[in-house]
Amino acid sequence: MRIIQDKINEAVSTIMAYGGHGIRNCVQCGACSAVCPGVRAGFPLLCRNLIRHLLNGELEEIIEDASSWGCQACNRCTEVCPQGVRPQEVVFAFRRYQANQLAFSTSSVTSQMNLFETGHAVYTDPTEARKKVGLPEKTPTSAFDDQAKQEIQTLINNSPMGELGLF
Amino acid sequence: MAKVGVYVCHCGSNIAGVIDVAAVRDFAETLPDVVVARKDLFMCSDSGQEMVKQDIRDGLVDRVVVAACTPRTHEPIFRAAIEKAGLNKYLFEMANIRDQDSWVHAHDHEGATEKAKKIVASAVAKARNLEPLEDKFVPVTDAALVIGGGIGGISAALELANMGHKTYLVEKRPSIGGVMAQLDKTFPTNDCSACILTPMMVEAYNHPNIETLTYSEVDDVSGYIGNFTVKIRQKQTYVDWSRCTGCGDCASKCPSKTPDEFNMGLSDRRAAYIMFPQAVPKKAVVDIEHCLHCAGREIGTLPKINEKTGRPILAPCERACPAEAINRSVAYDPAGAIKEVEVGSIIVATGYQVMDKGWFKEMAPDSPNVITALQLERIISATGPTEGKLLRPSDKEKPHTITFVSCMGSRDEHFHTYCSRFCCMYMIKQARLIKEKYPDITINMHFIDVRSAGKGYDEYYTGARKMGINIFKGKVGGLEMLPDDRLRVLAYDMEAATGIEYESDLVVLATAVELPQDATALAQKLGLQFCGSNFFRELHPKLGPVETATEGLFLAGCCQGPKDIPDTVAQAKGAAAAAAVPLAQGKVRIEPIISEVHAETCSGCGICIPLCPYHAISMTTYADRPRAQIEMSACKGCGVCTSACPSGAIVLHGYDESQIFAQIEALTA
Repeated sequence: MRIIQDKINEAVSTIMAYGGHGIRNCVQCGACSAVCPGVRAGFPLLCRNLIRHLLNGELEEIIEDASSWGCQACNRCTEVCPQGVRPQEVVFAFRRYQANQLAFSTSSVTSQMNLFETGHAVYTDPTEARKKVGLPEKTPTSAFDDQAKQEIQTLINNSPMGELGLF
Repeated sequence: MAKVGVYVCHCGSNIAGVIDVAAVRDFAETLPDVVVARKDLFMCSDSGQEMVKQDIRDGLVDRVVVAACTPRTHEPIFRAAIEKAGLNKYLFEMANIRDQDSWVHAHDHEGATEKAKKIVASAVAKARNLEPLEDKFVPVTDAALVIGGGIGGISAALELANMGHKTYLVEKRPSIGGVMAQLDKTFPTNDCSACILTPMMVEAYNHPNIETLTYSEVDDVSGYIGNFTVKIRQKQTYVDWSRCTGCGDCASKCPSKTPDEFNMGLSDRRAAYIMFPQAVPKKAVVDIEHCLHCAGREIGTLPKINEKTGRPILAPCERACPAEAINRSVAYDPAGAIKEVEVGSIIVATGYQVMDKGWFKEMAPDSPNVITALQLERIISATGPTEGKLLRPSDKEKPHTITFVSCMGSRDEHFHTYCSRFCCMYMIKQARLIKEKYPDITINMHFIDVRSAGKGYDEYYTGARKMGINIFKGKVGGLEMLPDDRLRVLAYDMEAATGIEYESDLVVLATAVELPQDATALAQKLGLQFCGSNFFRELHPKLGPVETATEGLFLAGCCQGPKDIPDTVAQAKGAAAAAAVPLAQGKVRIEPIISEVHAETCSGCGICIPLCPYHAISMTTYADRPRAQIEMSACKGCGVCTSACPSGAIVLHGYDESQIFAQIEALTA
């Protein structure tokens, strides 16, 4: 790796513009990664390591990496960070950058589509399970409510997500 | 008419990098009474000072204005220079165009240059009105006070005493020794702490020039350099120390238990106790707060008489004492006794405390097997609760895996942003001592990074790796409590970029070094200031590391900032050398920039008296009427009385009305 200041500046300013304001506070102590369930699950580029690569200016080099979509948004990293980096915000900023560059991981495209179509990011057909336990087959949620679904789609179409052209 | 010389300093690029020095010089030349204006790369250099001196010797100037860095560090230098050239040194005024201009307006060159011109104009306006003033001298009490009896205080006291100065060593606990007395061994040589400290404690206690006052606290300080009056409260021990032989029989019979501070709460001590086996002085204290007043033996009451035997019924401690040092019939004053001493200089060496583990909620503080490093120090110490056997607190079993966690509360914006400086090294020491004794124990150390700057320190650290101690870079994120008081460690290996998760039997937290809470009260009594890290502020971070803003008041050891034993001893000896200066000189100079009452104008209203922060003003009788008067040696020249006097009867020399109005006029022109 070569150290190219312009690339570092671009990566930092991009992440800051997408909401990762604390990235420059990072001293690479690793406390965030120690508590991160995503790191424990084996995602290589989360928290400490994601920040390190961004601070090295490797924005484009890691754009296809799916680790950021493994963040469970538990925010434990923010709790333990001694420097006020708010690592989860950096992860989310990197996601926003990836999304705007249409560099989605397949797992995330599925959940976006689910959200658009059913109002649930994670969706499985509930009818069988509900029938078994004696509940009405249809859930009282957007999944079976056309008006709610329509409203959700209107909201998405009029948000930055709508501009991505996924739907 | 005054002949003012103006000298503008580049301060290398500190000033000239922002301010157009030539333009300021040109401007100064146009000011009234300015006869010469010059500039130099460094006015404080020999050539810069010589330029000023030559102008004085040539009769060219009789008032000097230097526009430069800050009077805080450089006013004394220029005053000395003009004095050498034969001019009264108070005919000098400094224009602060670095600290108050170029440094704060680094991005506005034009604005900073305009501001510099105003500052110079103001200084010149004042200089035109300056009057010569004369220094005054007062005699000095040849004695010193050292507050705090840890290794810093002991070192400083011994140094002063060996120079021949009477020294009072005040310690709030029953024994001197401080935190060092609680340590097992010391890095990087593994010297036994007690073996090197105890002889010094004894030497200090027995030194003919040292009067050690333990179980004592400074109650009040008044006066000034050379002539401080200190009230020391000797807390009530409820034991006649002139009789106590330190046998400890009272402690063995006392039934009241309370957590032992010396063992960091890992064991109990009695209400009647001797602080630790090597205590100096080895004297017992009755901690009245935890005393049960056995047999109804309230202090100062006569005992009941046993009807059968006709003998008095005494408390166990009284009965046990073979030296008759404990007599609860004596009406002891719970407030203790006040001892007043006169000293010429004071060294503050009050030390530090480590943060409690309770602050770190993510670190399972409720687990008995999560301990602070100072607690581990007690566990491995031969005088500790387990007599040196490494047993974990929950079940008194030997741990198989020990985890060390660095930077708990240090380098953390939630607590303290500073590095506590010696935790890395003492953790490595503890790990090495344990590994040496029990090679089968797995030791995992987790650091953000290892800070081992010091003589022999890095070799000590790399030695730990060679001994088979596992060292990981990456801060521990959390601990989880498991059944049977086991702990799960959530850590991270930064070098391998992978998470680490394992079970540990004992977790040691290196909690941050901080100033104890009672230090705030002491600071108020002494007029000490705090730095950004909330330690006592030294006069200058580089050039005045032992001095404070108050003359005659010095700092040593961790109360000034975290430091290890070698650094504490070095600073303590430095502080002793500095504190000895006024004592050796026998007199101190009083700056003439102090206030004075014009008795004819004073109405005797007395408004100034309660306002004076230094208690320097009192009432006297002048021409049969009450008048305020200011004690020259107590006045610090703050000017509060001057601005408050409704009659305008108080003048602050060096800042008189004509001078200040001239400055305001120049600034608002």
